[in-house]
Amino acid sequence: MIRVESLTKVFRRPHAFSGPFGALRTLVTRRYDERVAVDGVSFEIPEGEIVGYLGPNGAGKSTTVKMLTGILTPTSGRIEVDGRVPWRDREANARAVGVVFGQRSQLWWDLPLIDSLRLVGDLYDVPAARFTGSLRRMCDLLGLDDFLDTPVRQLSLGQRMRGDLAAAMLYDPPILYLDEPTVGLDVLAKQAVREFIVDTNRAGRTTVVLTTHDLADVEALCRRIILIDKGRVLYDGGIDDLVTAYAPPRRLVVELADGETRTFEIAGGTSVPELIAQVAAEHAIRDLSIEEPDLESVIKQIYAESMR
Amino acid sequence: MAEIARTLRLYWRLQRASMRGALQYRLNTVIGIATGVAYQGSGFAFVWVVMHTFPSLAGWSLKEVAFLYGLRLTAHAFYVLPFSSLFGLEFLVREGELDRVLLRPLNPLVQIIARRLGVGQLGDLLAGLVLLVIAAPPLSPAMIAFCLAAVVGGALVEASFALVLASMSLRTLNGFALWTFVDDLFSRFGSYPMSVFGGATQWVLTFVLPVAFVAYVPASVLLDKTGALNVPALVAYGSPLLGVALFALAYQVWRHQLRHYQSAGN
Repeated sequence: MIRVESLTKVFRRPHAFSGPFGALRTLVTRRYDERVAVDGVSFEIPEGEIVGYLGPNGAGKSTTVKMLTGILTPTSGRIEVDGRVPWRDREANARAVGVVFGQRSQLWWDLPLIDSLRLVGDLYDVPAARFTGSLRRMCDLLGLDDFLDTPVRQLSLGQRMRGDLAAAMLYDPPILYLDEPTVGLDVLAKQAVREFIVDTNRAGRTTVVLTTHDLADVEALCRRIILIDKGRVLYDGGIDDLVTAYAPPRRLVVELADGETRTFEIAGGTSVPELIAQVAAEHAIRDLSIEEPDLESVIKQIYAESMR
Repeated sequence: MAEIARTLRLYWRLQRASMRGALQYRLNTVIGIATGVAYQGSGFAFVWVVMHTFPSLAGWSLKEVAFLYGLRLTAHAFYVLPFSSLFGLEFLVREGELDRVLLRPLNPLVQIIARRLGVGQLGDLLAGLVLLVIAAPPLSPAMIAFCLAAVVGGALVEASFALVLASMSLRTLNGFALWTFVDDLFSRFGSYPMSVFGGATQWVLTFVLPVAFVAYVPASVLLDKTGALNVPALVAYGSPLLGVALFALAYQVWRHQLRHYQSAGN
């Protein structure tokens, strides 16, 4: 469904001079500042998969998504989305993808939500009968009925996000890009968004690419993740494999009688009862627990390693 | 053909939606229109005062200058009315709104200009049309058709420059200052008979920045004054075509710049 090969994007800007006549020098300079945002990224995503596309801020996630959607032209490398080259065939590609940016609404700010949805229906040439059906389904799935007639600027963040999801899926695109869809949402709203994504993926075999900083989203939705940093792929594979391969050791956390907390790494091959017995022999223990490695600590470790 | 019909239909739908949004700020609109009439009215009042002192301006009577003024103003309004949202392009780029435009299956330029109708410029249009109708000489149907073509052509000449300068902001260059300057040249020099300026100035305003082609050249045709022009009569009759050609060129520049659009960070 999506095929990306050695994808690279270099941003090139005229060098910004400071000081007197700085603006003028910037205008006429032949000196450019280059920043490599995406550096030889390759991956393939089959139809119907939900993939988490993760990385710290500035890793190149959004730039990749913008190239996948045809907003940006790659500097080099190849992209094929549903058989098309997005930047060359932007409008046809636009019909095949739904996009939600968590930070930025796609809806018409001053108009009631229903007007925005109608306009989206018009823009994507959804026939009237199909539009009614789609709208009904979206209202049921996302509970839009209560605020269909409210101007978008008066919606809460959670309501707005549900409106954005409806707008992105109204024309049944086979591919859905979600850029931080749960950012700033409360627990219930997050849950609603996740359920919607799962439903859409199951019902229509929609391929989903999800970028997020919320690893709970990833654990709830994706079986596969692609980790990138500084524009390069660090890891591409299953979440379970990732945790097994990179997992930091489990840790024994002990609270001592005097209130002090000590942690002991449980190295591979160590027997946990023995370790506890050993610790108990030396200290008076008030409480103890064992910390399992979670996705977050795994990812932290991978980023830390890539810094070296 | 079906594609053009679809584009026009969607342009209208989007434009209507933005008007519905803008109607929530009704007082703004009314003030905008009134300001336009007052501003352009005062501009012409200045010409009227000058003409009162000197009965003719380079061989043009007050009525003829009024016609020229009206033609230029109408053409200008026909450019600003649809294209006014180009003025906000830099903002759209900075806010990442252009990304959203590029996600839709519709020509980006059409989407951008459908974001706003320059209703504030209805005042310009009103003032321009009033002057045109009052000051028009008796015209044959063919000349009326030429007059309409001249308005569209003149609008396209100004729109071409606006489009090229606006497209600079797609590459984070700020063309706004230059644009204000060019716009000022168009309105400052476009409304008077070019023959009042010296030969060099007139040459620049004809062949470098084609201010003369917005209203002066077609008005000379309509007022039967082509003899005084510094271009052959045949070129003068074809003047509306210049706007079409320039706009086609400007559109290519726009498309090229759009391909190099770099988008804003999050």
